[in-house]
Amino acid sequence: MTMTNTAKHPDIKEILADRGLDGCGKEIWAKRFEEITPAEVEWALSRKAGYYVLDRLLILVSPAAENFIEQMAQLAHQLTLQRFGRTVRLYAPLYLSNFCVNDCVYCGFNKSHQFPRIRLTIEQALAEADIIAKEGFKDLLLVSSEDKEFISVGYLCELAAKLRPKFSSLSVEIYQMTTEEYAKLFAAGIEGVTLYQETYDRDTYRKYHPAGPKADYDYRLSAPESMAQAGMREIGIGTLLGLSDWRLETLALAEHAHYLMKRYWQSRVSFSFPRLRPAKDVDQTQFNLLSDKNLVQMILALRLCFADAGMTISTREPAHLRDHLVKLGITRMSAGSKTNPGGYSGSTGSVEQFEIDDKRTPAQIAAMLKSQGLEPVWKDWDSAFAKS
Amino acid sequence: MGVLKINGKEKTFLDNKMPVTLMDLLTILGVDSATVVAELDGQIVERANFTTTPLRDGQSIELVRFVPGG
Amino acid sequence: MDKLVIADKQFTSRLLIGTGKFSSSKVMASAIEASGAEIVTVALRRVDITNQNDDMLAAIDRTKYLLLPNTSGARTADEAIRLSRLARAATGINWVKLEVTPDPYYLLPDPVETLKAAEVLVKEGFVVLPYINADPILSKRLQDVGVATVMPLGSPIGSNRGLKTREALEIIIEQANVPVVVDAGLGLPSHAAEAMEIGADAVLVNTAIATAAEPAKMAYAFKLAVEAGRTAYLAGAAAETKKASASSPLTGFLRNE
Repeated sequence: MTMTNTAKHPDIKEILADRGLDGCGKEIWAKRFEEITPAEVEWALSRKAGYYVLDRLLILVSPAAENFIEQMAQLAHQLTLQRFGRTVRLYAPLYLSNFCVNDCVYCGFNKSHQFPRIRLTIEQALAEADIIAKEGFKDLLLVSSEDKEFISVGYLCELAAKLRPKFSSLSVEIYQMTTEEYAKLFAAGIEGVTLYQETYDRDTYRKYHPAGPKADYDYRLSAPESMAQAGMREIGIGTLLGLSDWRLETLALAEHAHYLMKRYWQSRVSFSFPRLRPAKDVDQTQFNLLSDKNLVQMILALRLCFADAGMTISTREPAHLRDHLVKLGITRMSAGSKTNPGGYSGSTGSVEQFEIDDKRTPAQIAAMLKSQGLEPVWKDWDSAFAKS
Repeated sequence: MGVLKINGKEKTFLDNKMPVTLMDLLTILGVDSATVVAELDGQIVERANFTTTPLRDGQSIELVRFVPGG
Repeated sequence: MDKLVIADKQFTSRLLIGTGKFSSSKVMASAIEASGAEIVTVALRRVDITNQNDDMLAAIDRTKYLLLPNTSGARTADEAIRLSRLARAATGINWVKLEVTPDPYYLLPDPVETLKAAEVLVKEGFVVLPYINADPILSKRLQDVGVATVMPLGSPIGSNRGLKTREALEIIIEQANVPVVVDAGLGLPSHAAEAMEIGADAVLVNTAIATAAEPAKMAYAFKLAVEAGRTAYLAGAAAETKKASASSPLTGFLRNE
């Protein structure tokens, strides 16, 4: 346990409320974004890069900063180069199930949608993993919708134990758990967890998560801290871009990251940027979809405030954009992904969570990176070193 | 006759001059009780108890006080 | 100026003064007065029973200043813990500046013994202010056990060389959840200003003031420097601008949107 003495410190819920970042101050923030001037952007860019201060991030995500995006890109590129070198980590997601007890409005796996649901047995999951391993991946992300009954802590621990010999890094992207449950996963060899708050705005959260355990905003918000307390080395957070005002979401996300970094200094926090994409049976017109420029600005602004945070981009995004993003602060990307359970072997014909846009094979992605003077890293840390 | 170890050094007292209490010792040594901290055989003695703490032959006393320092 | 908060107390002054090395108690008292300091450190030593020294500390008004005992002279955790308990018995105050310096040449603090002592003292209810080398990980470990501040050095005690540890201090300040007091090695008011400009919460100065030709005047200069540095920090000083190296545009692709 690495918790800093927090007797007198407020928790993340209080911090967000205090700063009006959980939705209660949205009008005030909206006004502040509009009021930022070019002179303030110049000042913000002149400050030492890589350190987080809320006021500075506010400026970097403002509309005024859009005209400085090239300068931000140059600074972010330099900073990423210094901290991460000329490398990009590659990982693959393995979807275990699309059964779900939640009713998230935006999701293809929403329990109200009718389609044949699939969950993989341990053996089936291992077969998928073998295909992934053959492509060269050593970094595996186990993904599942909230299918707690089947994709339980016990299932994940059993699967992790069997996967550890084949993969040097195992992480999960699954429903929120307690510290004790995360600790069990950690003991089984899973060293990272990704969990998106989806949106930090309480009203928006309520609107898009009407039912199921995920409807509990506070429980969701507390999960990354539980991961850290359980000893997880890598903690991935993010918001689903398109649900709410991306500028405000970026501030809330940054506060959350800063909170975790200050208190759990032995864990690394990473940002992901899931941007709403077409999904079966989901009406796209209700969202505030981001432009590529918005997405780039968000990535650059966060990099300029968090020199050491990991930044992950998935195959949701199109190839041409990903090719540019690797020079703009991104440090980890998936390749050749299948977001339907059994998708790698093609044996189940199941439904995807979202449409993949970048359909290149891992080998093609690796070649693209090399052509840009970047080295694809398949294996970053071998958990075999840490455990017997 | 009695011997007390004071700040690491042994000091011998003639019978009629042996300090009875800790406060007596301070008076004999000319040490102001208000600014001194005393340890008797490794135990801190509260200032309020100086006059009521008896001394016996062979005990060890540490007298420490605040001095200038950075 | 914004208040300095350490544990449950608030202070106006961000300059702490050490009382060692002054030529006389009168000089010391006037320097403390000129500095505006509210926290003054003192040491604990065995009383010299063969020679009744002038009690230099009688000159300090205990109602005006917080006397912060330090454990200087301790070379192990056990010695530091013992000295801390003695100090508390003397004053009833449970604040202690934890200083474990086994090296008599540079008086550099022992990280292992300091951490050990801090853990014990915090459990016993002390408000612990540990003196350490500018080690960011040690700072985090000490904060984990519950110290009230960290006090990393700028350069070795008495060397007057300023912020030789600046890079590490910046990391400590960035990562700290408690006030950071830069202590040791500050030889000039400009050093103190620099420490405040990079975000330190306070500084502690002793040698530079005590050994100046006119200590009270130097103390006043440090007072002004600390205030200037803090004000500059709050005003948001711009960093040194790096020259932008010419390279191909990275966001040209966005213009086609």
